[in-house]
Amino acid sequence: MRFLLTATILLAAAGCRPAETPGTVYGERPTLSDTTLVSTILTDPESYLDQRVLVAGTVVEVCEKRGCWLQLASDREFETMRVKVEDGVIIFPMTARGHQAVVEGVVEKVVLSADEAREQARMHAEEQGLPFDSTAAFEPTTTYQLRGIGALIAD
Amino acid sequence: MQWRRWNNILHRDIGYLCAGLTVVYVVSGVAVNHIHQWNPTYHVERRTAPVAPLTAADLAPPVGPGRLLMQLGLTPDYRTTFRPDSTSLRIFVEDGTVDVDFATGEATIEIVRERPVLGAANFLHLNHAKQLWTWMADLYAVALGLLAVTGLFVLKGKKGLTGRGAWLTAIGVVVPFVFLWIYR
Repeated sequence: MRFLLTATILLAAAGCRPAETPGTVYGERPTLSDTTLVSTILTDPESYLDQRVLVAGTVVEVCEKRGCWLQLASDREFETMRVKVEDGVIIFPMTARGHQAVVEGVVEKVVLSADEAREQARMHAEEQGLPFDSTAAFEPTTTYQLRGIGALIAD
Repeated sequence: MQWRRWNNILHRDIGYLCAGLTVVYVVSGVAVNHIHQWNPTYHVERRTAPVAPLTAADLAPPVGPGRLLMQLGLTPDYRTTFRPDSTSLRIFVEDGTVDVDFATGEATIEIVRERPVLGAANFLHLNHAKQLWTWMADLYAVALGLLAVTGLFVLKGKKGLTGRGAWLTAIGVVVPFVFLWIYR
């Protein structure tokens, strides 16, 4: 019985302890070596559409409840890029805010009708615990985001 | 009968093995079920405080953010800053953020703390660990299946599967179908 207990603890410890890294990897470890500036992508997003890129920046916002997206600061003032990951597959912690990250993913276009934009804003407010003005007018929007494959977030 | 003896031994011992993890999944399961009403992993505390009239220049790093944090009664250490727009600044501190709106002269302090027990339970339940834990969770799921099946045959007679047990098992099977019929 003592052997069984010892073996179980050792096995659990070996499996749960992540390998030593300069940060924490979420999803797949980024493989690209060259980073593309967020500002470069957002200046001409159509030319990067469906391309796999590596971007870097400070994590400025994280989905509070599900950790299913993060907002990465651009190298250009007042600009961010949203990184969306599959729910439950990659879960970013709220504690990642303010940390440097490199994220690999595919650039994608998100086209929303006015109703969809309203629903997204409502869900965003709900997730972040923010007030939502249900009387506000919404217009159709086109945005660009990264479909995240993997990220390395500095500790 | 010999097989029933082994069935009951299996049911008993698997039950003992699963007890701890079942509690983890129960606690996390209920917490995550109500994710629309609250944040099951983090305790987020938000408060606002007035700040003296400021400009972006007043808050320029490296000194400005620290000075403001002290004015708000916080330690002056901060990780980094970000400008969401021309009238505001976000300061990242150890446990959260401080958003300063120059236009309204208001700071929103958000302190985030992981819920100690629930955070750990959700970490396991939602498989944040991946790696070996995925296999452990699969093994637990199989064990739960075995627990359910062996549980059907623990008793014989009127209270067993040929009596009351049949009715209770049937109810358990029908319940999910009722909800599927209602909601799908």
